[in-house]
Amino acid sequence: RRGARGTRGAGEATAGGSPPCPASRPAVCRLRQVGKGELRKIPVPANRYTPLKENWMKIFTPIVEHLQLQIRFNLKTRNVEIKTCQETKDLSALTKAADFVKAFILGFQVEDALALIRLDDLFLESFEVTDVKPLKGDHLSRAIGRIAGKGGKTKFTIENVTRTRIVLADAKIHILGSFQNIKMARTAICNLILGNPPSKVYGNIRAVASRAAERF
Amino acid sequence: AVPGVLGIQTCLRVAGAAAARPECFLSVQDGLAADFRAMTKTLFDLNKGSNIVRGGPLKELVIENFDEEQIWQQLELQNNAVLDFFKKSIAADADDEDLCLLSDQEEDGSDAETSSDKEFEDNIMEAETEQMNVYTKDKDKTKAKEKQSKLKNKSLMQKYSDEDSDIDFDIEALEQQAKTAKETTLRKKGRKSVVDDKFFKLAEMETFLEHAEKEDKEEEEEDDINYFEDIISDDEEDSEEAKVRISPIKSSRDMTYKDFYDSVDDDDDGDDDLVANDAEGDQEEEADSAIEEQNEESMSEFEDMDEMVEHMRSKEASKKVTFSLPDDSETEHVTKVPLEKGINPSEIKSSFEKRQEKMSKKIKGLEEALLEEKPWQLKGEVTGQKRPENSLLEETVLFDHAVRMAPVITEETTFQLEDIIKQRILDEAWDDVVPKEKPKEEAFEYKKRISLDHEKSKLSLAEIYEQEYMKLHQQKTEEEENPEHKEIQEMMDSLFQKLDALCNFHFTPKPPVPEVKIVSNLPAISMEEVAPVAVSDAALLAPEEIMKKNKAGDVKTDAEKTPTDKKRELRRKKLRKRMRQREKEKRQKLLEKMKPEQGTKLSKKAAAAKLKRLTKEGKASLLKDEGKDKALKSSQAFFSQLQDQVRMQIKDASKLKKKQKKEKAISVHKLKL
Repeated sequence: RRGARGTRGAGEATAGGSPPCPASRPAVCRLRQVGKGELRKIPVPANRYTPLKENWMKIFTPIVEHLQLQIRFNLKTRNVEIKTCQETKDLSALTKAADFVKAFILGFQVEDALALIRLDDLFLESFEVTDVKPLKGDHLSRAIGRIAGKGGKTKFTIENVTRTRIVLADAKIHILGSFQNIKMARTAICNLILGNPPSKVYGNIRAVASRAAERF
Repeated sequence: AVPGVLGIQTCLRVAGAAAARPECFLSVQDGLAADFRAMTKTLFDLNKGSNIVRGGPLKELVIENFDEEQIWQQLELQNNAVLDFFKKSIAADADDEDLCLLSDQEEDGSDAETSSDKEFEDNIMEAETEQMNVYTKDKDKTKAKEKQSKLKNKSLMQKYSDEDSDIDFDIEALEQQAKTAKETTLRKKGRKSVVDDKFFKLAEMETFLEHAEKEDKEEEEEDDINYFEDIISDDEEDSEEAKVRISPIKSSRDMTYKDFYDSVDDDDDGDDDLVANDAEGDQEEEADSAIEEQNEESMSEFEDMDEMVEHMRSKEASKKVTFSLPDDSETEHVTKVPLEKGINPSEIKSSFEKRQEKMSKKIKGLEEALLEEKPWQLKGEVTGQKRPENSLLEETVLFDHAVRMAPVITEETTFQLEDIIKQRILDEAWDDVVPKEKPKEEAFEYKKRISLDHEKSKLSLAEIYEQEYMKLHQQKTEEEENPEHKEIQEMMDSLFQKLDALCNFHFTPKPPVPEVKIVSNLPAISMEEVAPVAVSDAALLAPEEIMKKNKAGDVKTDAEKTPTDKKRELRRKKLRKRMRQREKEKRQKLLEKMKPEQGTKLSKKAAAAKLKRLTKEGKASLLKDEGKDKALKSSQAFFSQLQDQVRMQIKDASKLKKKQKKEKAISVHKLKL
């Protein structure tokens, strides 16, 4: 179990039972598969660097404790690297951990992203505003403003009704939730982009959500 | 001879008359019966007259006051004697080497004439005998004689029953055919062993054993279905064959010594003939039994005659022990060919050879069948073109029904249904359709269900899903508060309060206890009343629950309003005004179109507008009220002034016109007026 904060260099091989490279071989031997383990790398953009630093504890604790994986932040490459080890029981854990970290990097809260580890059937969908309708300049800004609402009101409403989490990063939209809910939220957001007033969108999502709730 | 001829002629006449009107026989004819009886007597007496045939105890046939049975018995007595005579004569003739078995019809006829004194009868039945002789292929005169005797009896029968005539005739033909077939069977005449006796013949025993073996074999084979055999449908089987195949079953009562054993006088040489006779006798018996079966419904009068005939025939029939040989029936079925002329002893085959022959025949048959084209039933998938038309109808086809068969409506099913219906009616258990009501949901209820929360949710996504999951898999463990715990808690609270009050110098008010106050949203008057008044649910609801809240929310004063609110209100106001204006204009336009005068009159604004327009254009001028003009003070003054003005104008105009007439050459343009 190792929760190392990125102090190691790139060329260093982590513990895993690989033999030291002989002198004749090139010094840099970047092995993807170290021993038996698999490796995942998630790049971190600059704006998320600080939040990562702040939430590092909250990030690596569930990965290491619950999923039995090894994680580190590679300072040089600015990647979060996750690796399996002998203690890893579940092979799907690596995927989950990678998704979790990715979600955080995209902008979700740690607690929200944590749901990815805990639940199997959560997904992450991303699309752009211009995918829905080719908007430029002011129109684009207005569309984004419609999605957000005043003080984020509209976005929160959609989140609450559809039980999803939405990250609105300029022209990019990321939705986290279960499949049906993602669909509902996506429809609502697309309607907003296309120009429907928020009140109408509320009505629609409410109707859809009530129907979905009735079914279960 | 003369009285004989006369007698016969009378008989002939009577018979002819009767035959001419066969329809009479459909009912009982007592007169005819008497005539026939008389005829029988004359014929009998005629016979008695001739001295050729000896025997017979009776001198004459007595018919007065005798019923049929007695007459028959008399005839029987006579016949026995006659038959004995015949047999002797036949035996004598058979021994006669001059006579050949294959003699012509003439010989037969001559023999018949010489041997019997029934020549007179021959004339009568000449036609019939000729027909019979046509069929006879074998020239055994005994057969012919027996046929004739039988014929005589038969003719009587025939006259009495027209119904049976056809059948009898067929049987005659059948019997002839059968006889010819029988003739083809080879009898082992050559073999005579030491063991042979009057009763026992070794050769016969051997043949019997062979046939028994074959029967056993056949029985085994009958279990397997021969696919290559042509299945004989029911239609094919003729009634003739059926009749032929009827096994000769003689009731045990009728059997006599002569059926089992030969008479003592028999010779070996006569065996053949008698054997042939046996065969014929069997056939006759068969035919008789067939006739009997058919004549069951015939008139009772003639039953006695049948019995008599059969009895006679049985006596004529076999005098030897015979075994029913299935071989004969087979061969007769297969070969209806005229008899083979001679049976050579050298061709006699051993049993083994015969078996081999049969086997080889069977093998051949099977091989041929195998080589032949298979019938369509065994060809696998057969379409409609490959099989004969409507051939499937004759086949019983088995196939699985994948669908549930429709119920067959029979009487019982209808009765069952009716019973059920009656029971239901008694129970009053109707299957009425329950009308479904659409659940009408109030708007508020609906909104309450999913309230829109405009704030960021305090729970994280994981927790939300956790809650959902818990709801789904809820295990209700409602921990109800222990009442004792409640008490304890209350006591402690009160104690601490008191302690706090004592300890603290500053007053600490009691912590707010959540009071449960029942609020009944009723007017006071209703509460005071003792009598319970019907309360509607509507009164118990909050006002917001009754009526939808205004979209704007709470009512705000001008000071409280935010700029957005103000702007919103302004916008609303403008919108309303705009709408009103538009409607007004529309109405006006409509009115103008329909009634133009009213349009301008009624509206003040329109008039003002028009005035303004006119003044602008210069067509009208407004008179300003400066106080100078008297005319403007009152309308009378104004109008009188106006009138004067107009008069003046008219005068001028008329003057001008006169002038214009004179000065036409001068144009207006030049004058510039």
